[in-house]
This record gives sequence, C-alpha cells and structure tokens, in this order.
Amino acid sequence: MTMPNSPKDLYRPRRAEIREVIVENSQIKTFVLAFVDRAHNGSFTYQPGQFMMVSVPHCGEAPISISSTPADSGTIHLSVRRAGILTAALHDMKQGDMVGLRGPYGRPFPMTALAGSDLLFVAGGIGLAPLRSVINTCLAAGHDRRITILYGSRTPSDIAFQGDLASWGQTAGVNCLLTVDRSEPGWEGEVGLVTGLFAQCALEPDESKALVCGPPMMIRAVLAQLADRGFADGNIITTMERHMKCGVGICRHCHMDDKLVCKDGPVFTLEELKRLKVMELRG
Amino acid sequence: MKDKYILKKDHLLPLLRKLKKKHRLIAPLQNLHGDTLFTEIDQLDNVRLDLANQPQNSLKRFFFPQQEVLFTYRNPTSDSYRFETAAEERPPSLYFGVRPCDLSAVLYMDVVFSKNARDPHYLHRRQNTILVGLNCNAPFANCFCNATRNGPFIDFGFDLQLTDLGDRFLVEFDRSQGQEIIREWQQFFAAADETDVKAQYQAFLEARGRFSQQVHLDLAARRLADDQVPESVWQDLSMRCQDCGGCAYICPTCTCFTIRDRQTGDHEGERIRSWDACTFSGFTRMAGDHNPVDRQMRGIEKRFRHKLQFDMEKDNRPSCVGCGRCVNICFGGTDIVLFIKMTCGENP
Amino acid sequence: MAGLATTFGSGAMTNSINEIENAQVMLVIGSNTSEAHPQVARRIFAAMDRGARLIVVDPRRTLMAKRADIHLALRPGTDIPLLNAMMRIILDDNLADDLFIEMRTENFYGLRDMLFRIDLDETARITGVELAGIRAAARLYGRAQKAVICYCLGITQHVCGTGNVQAIANLAMLTGNVEKEDTGVDPLRGQNNVQGACDMGALPNVFPSYQQVDIDDFREKFERAWHVPLPSQPGLTLMEMTHGGKDGPLKAMFIMGENPMLSDPVIARVRETLDNLEFLLVADIFLTETAARAHVVLPAASFAEKTGTFTNSERRVQMVRRVIPPLGQSRTDADIIMELSGRLGYAMDYESPAEIMEEIAMLAPIYGGMQHDRLENSWGLQWPCWDRSHPGTPFLHKYYFTRGKGRFVPAEYKPPDELPDDDYPFLLITGRIYHQYHTGTMTRRSAQLCREAGEALLQLHPEDGRRLGVRSGDLVRMRSRRGEVQVKAQLTDAVQAGEVYTTFHFSEMPINLLTSSARDHFSQCPEYKICAVHLAKV
Repeated sequence: MTMPNSPKDLYRPRRAEIREVIVENSQIKTFVLAFVDRAHNGSFTYQPGQFMMVSVPHCGEAPISISSTPADSGTIHLSVRRAGILTAALHDMKQGDMVGLRGPYGRPFPMTALAGSDLLFVAGGIGLAPLRSVINTCLAAGHDRRITILYGSRTPSDIAFQGDLASWGQTAGVNCLLTVDRSEPGWEGEVGLVTGLFAQCALEPDESKALVCGPPMMIRAVLAQLADRGFADGNIITTMERHMKCGVGICRHCHMDDKLVCKDGPVFTLEELKRLKVMELRG
Repeated sequence: MKDKYILKKDHLLPLLRKLKKKHRLIAPLQNLHGDTLFTEIDQLDNVRLDLANQPQNSLKRFFFPQQEVLFTYRNPTSDSYRFETAAEERPPSLYFGVRPCDLSAVLYMDVVFSKNARDPHYLHRRQNTILVGLNCNAPFANCFCNATRNGPFIDFGFDLQLTDLGDRFLVEFDRSQGQEIIREWQQFFAAADETDVKAQYQAFLEARGRFSQQVHLDLAARRLADDQVPESVWQDLSMRCQDCGGCAYICPTCTCFTIRDRQTGDHEGERIRSWDACTFSGFTRMAGDHNPVDRQMRGIEKRFRHKLQFDMEKDNRPSCVGCGRCVNICFGGTDIVLFIKMTCGENP
Repeated sequence: MAGLATTFGSGAMTNSINEIENAQVMLVIGSNTSEAHPQVARRIFAAMDRGARLIVVDPRRTLMAKRADIHLALRPGTDIPLLNAMMRIILDDNLADDLFIEMRTENFYGLRDMLFRIDLDETARITGVELAGIRAAARLYGRAQKAVICYCLGITQHVCGTGNVQAIANLAMLTGNVEKEDTGVDPLRGQNNVQGACDMGALPNVFPSYQQVDIDDFREKFERAWHVPLPSQPGLTLMEMTHGGKDGPLKAMFIMGENPMLSDPVIARVRETLDNLEFLLVADIFLTETAARAHVVLPAASFAEKTGTFTNSERRVQMVRRVIPPLGQSRTDADIIMELSGRLGYAMDYESPAEIMEEIAMLAPIYGGMQHDRLENSWGLQWPCWDRSHPGTPFLHKYYFTRGKGRFVPAEYKPPDELPDDDYPFLLITGRIYHQYHTGTMTRRSAQLCREAGEALLQLHPEDGRRLGVRSGDLVRMRSRRGEVQVKAQLTDAVQAGEVYTTFHFSEMPINLLTSSARDHFSQCPEYKICAVHLAKV
C-alpha cells in the first residue's frame, strides 16, 4: 500500500475568489472565479461538460458544471441556479468573497467526435450552462459545420446568457432560436415548448449530433422529437444531474444502476442511458 | 510441509504479547455484557479474547470510521476561507482473528477506496496493517459465505491465516509481512506435517457441511441480471424497510458515505464524512425535492442490485460476503437472505 | 387510560408485542403504525405473511391502510359510531361470544340496548364509510379465533377519547377477543417509558401501581414508607397546569423532560402561564423551547448516562445501563430529585438505582418481584409480577379481568369540539413522522435525520390544492381560531379532500398554536387530532 503524494488533497478544496457576479436572471447567477494560488490558476484546465465541487462555508459542497471554455484561461465560470441551501448562500455572495473549489471532475463531451458533425444544441433554463462551454469551444476552434441552438426559457425575463445568445445570433453558420413558455409585454419572439422550434430548423440527422440539456420534462419531450426526426441514439448526447458528495466515484450518491454520474458521466449518450433505468427517460 | 506451520494454542497469548510490542493490536474481545467486538487491546492480561463467537462489528470502522473529520475550515471574513488538515498518526496495526468474511470485505474496500480515486483517509489507515485471519470451523446461524464463495475457509488476502485444529493452529502466510512474523518469531512456529494438513482439510469439509441454511445466491443473481425479480418483491421489501440504515452500517462492505459541514463556531467548522445508506431517501434527493428513487416502492433495490448484480457483472463475484450480520440487525425483516429467498420463489 | 380502566380494570396492552405475529385478524384503528410503532408494524406484516388479515380504520391512506385488506377511511372523530355499528352487525349476525359474555362480563344488556337503537344507514352517513365496508370488517373481526386491536393517539386524542377506548373494549369483549394469547386490545404507547411513568404514579390521582390517593389504605401505606403525610386529593392534570392552573394561578413549576411550549395545545396560553410563574425550573438534556423560558435550568443526563429501568408498551420492564458518565455538569434525573429534595428538607439518600427499585417492588404490587438482579442479563419482566417467584405476565386478563368482570360501558357518539365551517373550512389532523421524535429535542440534532425529514409538510388533497392554487412546495398560511403558521404544502391523495395533515415536531412551525384546548372529560387528554383551519397560499 503506497501513500499518495499529498495524502489529504483529494477532498480538500482550493481557495478561489469571486472576481465577478453576473446576474443572468432572477434565479441564475454566473460566478467568475479564480484560484487564489496563482500557479494553480495558470495551469488549471478542463474540458466542456466537466464540473467543479464548490464549497461554501458551513454549507458543504455541491457539483456545478463549468459554463466557460478552457480557452478563457485565468477564470472559471460557474452558472448557478438558486435551488437549495448552498446555492442560496452562494447567491448571497459578492465580488471578492471566497469559495472552495475542487475538480474538474466527470467525463466531458466528446469534443473530437463533435468536430466533424452538424451540431444541434437544445437547452432549457440553466441547461444552457454546460452547452455554452461546448458552443464557445467549438466556435473558438473554428467549427466548420452547421450549428443550431434552440433555447427555451419560462418567460422572456428568464432568458439567461443573453450576451452569448446575442453573439451566437450574429455568428455566421449559427442558427440560434429562442422560445418562452409564457410571454410578457414586449416579447415578439416564439412562445411554446422548445420542441416547437424544430419545425424551423433544417436538420440532417445522419450528419448531426444533438446535445440536450435541461429539466427532465424537457429532455423527455426533446428525445421523443429527435427520435421522430431519425436521430440515432448514439448521436444524442445529454447530461445527467444527481445528488453528489465526493465527485470522484467513491461515495455512490450519484448512482444510476451500475454507473456513477460523477465518473461515468455527467455526459451520456442516449444509447448509454437506454441500457439503464433512468428516471428522466421514464414517462 | 512447506510454508505451513503449527502454533500451539498455549503459545498464542505469548505470541500476541510479542507482536503487540510493535503493533496496535485489534482482536475480538468479549465485553462485560457478553458482546464480542473487535476492540483495540490495551492490556492483554485483563481481556477475554473470544475466538468462538462472531464479532458483532467488522473491521470497517477501523479503516473507514463511522464519522471522521476530513479537514477543518475557517472563514473569519467573507474574503477569507481556509482549510486545514490535521495529520493523524497511524502506528503499524495488527488485526487478529479476522474471519474470511471480514477479510474479504477488507479486500473489497481496498478496491472501492482506490479504484476510481485513491482515498487518502482510507489508505492512510490501511497502510502498515497486518491481517491475521481465522478460518471458520463452525459457521454461525445466519452465515452464508459458502454462497458468496469467500468462506468458510479462505486461502488468500491475509498476512497470516490460522486454522483451529483443536489444541493447535495451523498457520499459513500469503504475504511477506506474514512470512516476516514467522521468521522473526520462529520459536513459536513448528513445521506442519501431513497429519496437520489433513486435519485442516477435514476441518474444512466439516465446516462446509455445517451451514444451517441454503442460500441460492447464484440463482438470485441470475434473476437480477435477467431482470426477472417480480415487482412485488421490490415493493413488499421496500415498504417494510424501516429506514434505519442498520444493514448498511453493520455491513462490512457497505461503503457509501456522506460529507457535510459542521459549524463549530461563528467562523469555523469541520467537514465531516460519515457512513450513509442508499436506503435513505435523502441519499439521492436533490435540491428542490426531486428524487430519482421512489423510496417507498424501491428503497432497497439499489442495495441488493449493487451487491448481487452490478458488482457481480464487474468482478464476477458478489460484494456481499455472507457474514449474516444484517439478518440479525434488520428491524423490518427485509434482509438480503430474505430477498434472495423471495427472488428465488422460496417461502421465507 | 381511563377507557380501559373502566372496562378491563387495567390500562395497558393486554398482549405482548410478539403475540401479534400469531393473530388471525388485526384491527388497527387510530394508529399510523409503520411510522410511529415500526416494531409493531413489523409483527403485523409478519402475521400477514402467515395469512392474517388486516383492517385499518384511519381517515388517511397511510402505508398501513395501503396494505390493509379493508381500509375504512372514516371522518375524523367518528370512531364510536363506526365501532358501535360493527358491534351491531356482529350481534345481528350471531357472531357474539355468548359464553364469554355470560361468564366474564357485566352490563351486556346496557350495551345491547344501546346497539339495538342504532340506525346503520345513519352510521354510514356520519362516518362517511359505506356500510358494506363496515359490515365486511365486522364479520372479519367477529369470525376470527384470534384477533387483536391496536390503537394509538388517533383514538385517545379526542374529546371522546375515553368513549373511543370503551367502544374498542366493548367490541373485544363482545367477541371474546381478550384473555387469550395472541388476542386482545393493545394501546400503543408513544414513548419508551410512558408506561413506566404512569406505572410510577406520574398521574394526578394515583400512587405507583395505580393505587388511588383518595383511598386511605393506599395512602397510609405510602405515608408509613415515606414518613410524611401525603395529600388525599388528586393533583392537577397536565393541561390544568400548563393552561393557567385550576383554582387560581400556579406560583411555581418544575418541568422534567417535557416541552409543553411545543407539545401542548394553544401554545400562546402555555407561554402566558409559564411567563406568569414566580419560579420556573426545567430539567432537560438540551435547552428546549420550554427550558429557554425557565428561571433555572438543570442539565439532565441522557439514557446513555444513567442506570435504571424503562417500561415499554407491552408492560416490559427492562434495564438501561450507564455507558458513559454524565457529560459536563449534567446529573441524572434521580440525582436531581434527590438533591433538590435534600435541600428542601427531606433527605432522600438512595445509594443506587437498585435501592430505589427495591422500594418500588415493596410498594407497587405489579412490580412486586422486579429487582435489578432479576432484570439483568435478560429481556426484562412484564407486569404484573407479584413476587420474586413470579415469571411475569405476557398477556393480561387470563381467567379474570383485573377489575373482576369486564364491564361493558356503552359509548355514544360525541362529535368533535370544532368542525370545519365557512370561515375555517378545512379539518386539520396532527400526527407524527418516522424520522422525528416528539418535539425534536433530540432528533433535530441529528443531521442525518434532518436530511430525511427536516421540515414540516402539510398534506393537502390535490383537488383542494387546485382550488387554492397551491402546488407541492408552495408555502401555505394556515390559520385557526387560536393562531396561525406558515407551512409547505405537499399534495397527496393520502388525505381526503377537505382534510389536511401535518406534524408537531418542528418549532419553526409550532402546530399547537392552532390546536384547540378542548379535551376529554375523563382523561383530560386534549383533542390534538381535530381542529378547523383556514388555508391560503402565501
């Protein structure tokens, strides 16, 4: 039995400072973070789809997916929806405050496999956070195939990542469509489920990969729609969310049958998920 | 016989006394109330070593305590948040009288805490340990290690292994640390002869015949793999489960844990790791009260599938070691043996 | 207590818990057994494995109700008409045990006359249960050779609590379902030592072993033993104390291990009472809501820090042993009482818990043969245990009832004190959940238990939720004539439309601000189970 080099590091977070807080909507904030240890901050890297374990004093830890791209070196963006005790405490924090971070963890999106395909991104609410990382990485890498982005929000004022959406809307080769469940005065865009946007897109299922992220209800509807359109299960990629504690494949809170979301996921193809009993896929 | 030795029973205590000079000694002791537990021994003279009964605890908590502090933290101001780890000294330890079930469980935990990531807290406690096993001549009432295939005798994984031959122990080693002990304390060990080895084999055959119940674990595992367990089995057992977590806590191979912060002052606290059980609804409940597991109908499913299906698929052996402790401790009558029997369509 | 005392002569489980496994029919009424008494529920399920049938009478569709062969979802507070109807059907169908009635009971004709006046259709209307269901339950119970009735606070915490219990006792006697093994009437106690506290005379009217204070022989016996004159008048009941005193206000109070600031009805009134005391002394293991209002708090030792006995639901007296010495400055309850008594001028110098137990055995006949040496290294003894050669009593009333003959005491329907009306249209039922214990003094300090159940939820029927515009997770403002709380809603069809259910464990949501002070005339037990409330989405 040999000792790891720094025996206590696995569960001990590194200190990170909140450089900026971006209010995305009433429920979502994006925290721009940098490690206090400059050397670590400089060498730190990750891949789209991975997540960090975030510590907030007295609240423990929670997994948060990274919404920035590895190329924006120097800072990490974590977009957080207010959902429980930890995220509520995080939402009350401000620029200059300190959190703990460990990671990156999890299996990322298959970026090389994505490179040669048309890409369809379907997101609802906070689900755009991990996809934002993929989209911006692809764009930065000069992705030369078609990109379609479909994004659904509850109301127009709930639309998050507005800066990114605006910039994607103006990028050549990118078709970015928005919809809301419920309209508000001044909204002239689409109203209805995100699946309603499919009619407006030209899709070639055999040439495409679909990346889907959002609430379980939405995922179910989108998967059905994609199946109708002829997408193969292996070309549909989504992320799973589960309660997590260790993040490194030991504590087993995030089990899905014999898989662990923290290690075997959070990114899965539909083909993989169909072999499991997954709540999100059940009617 | 090569690599097989005899230790007279009269010489056991003197040997332990020698070994205790260099090691923390942990062995099954009977306490004042008659309960047998693996206990750290201070003074060999005043204790009752009990090799006749099954210890109520396994070795789990010695390597993976029920609760431990991973690190402490301080946050005197919001722009300051520091983490400090207290180093724990861990002298070399010797665990004596470890039966095949508990020994197999330690080997299983070794994998759990090092496969996906190397858990420093577990490995720190696990290093510098010597495991001295004891083959089981007489399985206990709830034992079924014959069905889980790690007992009643075991021939690997230990440093030293003892087999009770009446007035003497047959001693074998599997690892160099065991060999070392035999070499260092050779005055206690005599070479075993053919009679001793035959006696050991005889003891093994007799032990195998002494199991009081037949547990058809392989059949249950097959039904699990083929998804042939009737829905009513899951529901009936889940509804009876009284959510005490006792099975997971007592289980030598249940290693699920939770991590939380415990505030100890206005601006300081500890990050605690403690045992958890997948049968609890809070184990999987996410923020916003979404729960991917319906506890009332499926609460016990994960535990049995993990031990008898998922680990079986991965390692071709269950991660239940057949010690039977959960059968004794279960308040609801939903233990793994009952599950196996119901799955096999037997009347419990 | 009062209900079984008047009918059988002894207010405790007639069976041992293990006997339930051998019953053929189990009638569970006013008990959420799997949440509140899981160990009893386990026996019920085991009995069902052997083919036994389960009847559950509960307004809610609890887990027990889901597993039952017959679930009678009655309107809260209508147990008496339902039980009377069952008895009438048993009479009509000739299922009564005439020999048992003749040999072992009295006042049968009083009951019979009352039953013959019942209009069964009227019962169905009052209880909201179809007659066919009541009939099926009556026949199932009436035909069983071995039948047990388990009941709990859903029976006793009503203005008609004593009547409810009497009706249960009548039903059991009518069919001869007492006196035998695996057959009887089993009130399930709410705490590990409630039975023991009652046995020791922690009641206003009795000395230990239920020896009434107003009977001279009993009182003189205790005066001889304790060398002091003792009061011949019963004292005050709990509610008389915490709700302002009976004849004028109380001056001082000593509260041990009880948290009336959360557990008693009309908390506002409790608070006023406690705040008006000249002196309040509280002994508890943690600083409870009640202790926080005390002038002096004495830290008490927990179960793990003391030696003595607990008496459980099945009258079993068991040893509890000290594992660790009392932490910090805490002292055991016995120590606290002895020290206080000494300082007040009456020396109590027991050298050990064993000596106290010896005195109990001398003065309390049902504990006559229970000394520590007999209780050690065993699972204890069940009372009555008259002397050192007595093996204890697994089931009661064999050959004769404690009071001689069992007495039928006809019980008539008494509607709840407060029913829903236009202003307060919902009926609130209160109860308990598995992961929390009583006022949470202990369980709320466990992170694991709080993770499982960390806040109060108000069960609300989805139909009502739709009408109020309330979804699961929404905060609801709940108001009664006495107070108001906010609580998170949980939509479920486990409750009937018009009825809501929640628990009293959480001090953030003190439900007893709302409950009423109406109580049973005989037992003085408050009607925690029913009050009328108004709901609105926050």
